[in-house]
Amino acid sequence: MEKLLKAKDEEYVRNLFEQNLVEPVELVLFLESPGASRVTEHNKQYLAYTEEILTEVSNLSDKINLTIYKDDKEKEKEYGVENISAFFIEGKNTNKNIVYYGIPSGHEFSSLLEDIIDVSKGETQLPDKLKEMVRKISTNVNILVFVTPTCPHCPQAVRTAHQFALENKLIRSSMIEAQEFPEWSNKYNVYAVPKVVINDKMQFEGAVPEDTFLNSVYEALGIKLLF
Amino acid sequence: MENFDLFSEDMSSNRKADLNEVFDLAILGAGPAGLTASIYAGRAGLKFILVERLSSGGQIVFSDQVDNYPGFPEGISGSQLMERFEKQASKFGTQIFSGEVREIKKSDNLFLIETSSGTIKSRSVIYAMGADPMKLPVPEEERFRGKGVSYCATCDAAFFKDKIVCVVGGGDTALYDALHLSRFAKNVIVLHRRDKLRAVKVLQDIVKKNPRIELLLEHIPLHIIGNKKVEGLEVENVKTRESKVINIDGIFVAIGIVPNTLPLKGIVELDEKGFIKTDLNMETSVQGLFAAGDVRATPLRQVVTAASDGAIAAFSAQKYLENLER
Repeated sequence: MEKLLKAKDEEYVRNLFEQNLVEPVELVLFLESPGASRVTEHNKQYLAYTEEILTEVSNLSDKINLTIYKDDKEKEKEYGVENISAFFIEGKNTNKNIVYYGIPSGHEFSSLLEDIIDVSKGETQLPDKLKEMVRKISTNVNILVFVTPTCPHCPQAVRTAHQFALENKLIRSSMIEAQEFPEWSNKYNVYAVPKVVINDKMQFEGAVPEDTFLNSVYEALGIKLLF
Repeated sequence: MENFDLFSEDMSSNRKADLNEVFDLAILGAGPAGLTASIYAGRAGLKFILVERLSSGGQIVFSDQVDNYPGFPEGISGSQLMERFEKQASKFGTQIFSGEVREIKKSDNLFLIETSSGTIKSRSVIYAMGADPMKLPVPEEERFRGKGVSYCATCDAAFFKDKIVCVVGGGDTALYDALHLSRFAKNVIVLHRRDKLRAVKVLQDIVKKNPRIELLLEHIPLHIIGNKKVEGLEVENVKTRESKVINIDGIFVAIGIVPNTLPLKGIVELDEKGFIKTDLNMETSVQGLFAAGDVRATPLRQVVTAASDGAIAAFSAQKYLENLER
């Protein structure tokens, strides 16, 4: 396959990583072979590209390691993989809870880069007040963020959800590239992105400020915050 | 795979700014106006902060084709154009501070800007917070928003592959949306209340030649029909007052914009449509508070005019600060 990142972009990303990465980061990618049950006409064309882009990104820093599991049911179970492709960004403060389903292309490529940096630093850029509120959550929260690669404000929703996950191991946040998973999207009536679904209960569309997003998380837990 | 043309490296936002400091200038909004103001403020050596609530770029990032910004004879996508603005601003020291502006107060020549990420203190302000799309004026809008009603053709076109969609509006944005949607949808119906489109001629000519796009002029939307999602739109002929239902799966709305002026409510003078009035120096009715871009009362709202506003506003802010020190 031809390289996906142009030389100029590689240079940019390499510098970005050099200046910002601290601790090692593990990218864990799950794939299936053609003909496997979760390879559909919608996601099959993207699998090789997802593998390629993660390979190229991991080659741009010594601190990033890529592990690929193919048709590995046991590992899929361990990570709670629901669809293919899936990948996890793992570091010392994560809990298999920063997840991407489908390819991080287009605008989502910037989410990938920023997530890697956050995980490597082991901290997010959320304001202190919000960090505190995120850490206080003491039950499991499952956040799904449906996106398309051409959606300019989708990374904001993905990044917020992933930062919440990095601040609290009970929160699992997944980006879902809607076009690769039409059944999943149909289940939640996704016709506009970003669309956020929290614990299957709370849903909203559009990019919102982080505090508004957190309000919705609490609301899904039955708690009405006043701030 | 066309998606790979675009591995976007949006400038990452941060919160490293020290909010205990007093800034010379706070630029609110990182669209074309705010980013241009930042380039000028950076080069002038001002101590400034650029605040943005979403990712940067403003409304133009929703346009997949910009053909009228000089210097790009082949055209360029809104996102790519704004990435260039950002890179240039960042070269002159701009970093974007993430936060939603909620209130602005002025006392003793100092502006206090309340944001979702803390209070910013600044001696002058450029307000460039742009506008949001106007909502479709039918009673069912809220119920069907995100369930077939969309305000972003670039984001959501893919959900309407081989479906029939309607674009409401007759301006440039509406026609660009229709053209973009025609690459996915089976049919695109452009619904416009007047007997002529408002968009520039070149766009009208392209649209009229597109076999998938159909015009429905002199009609307005009345009601959305549907259960869980959009299934149809009841429209009315403005002349005969006859109504009919067209069967469609999606409605893309491009009927204009609403200026984002809530944090300035009761502080600055607005025009009858709610846009901020300024003088030729971009100064509002409050000294030291400048406005630039789509939020300003101006006859034309384009990237090029927003950039121009931003440049003038930054220049004026610099003059204002110099006078303040005298």
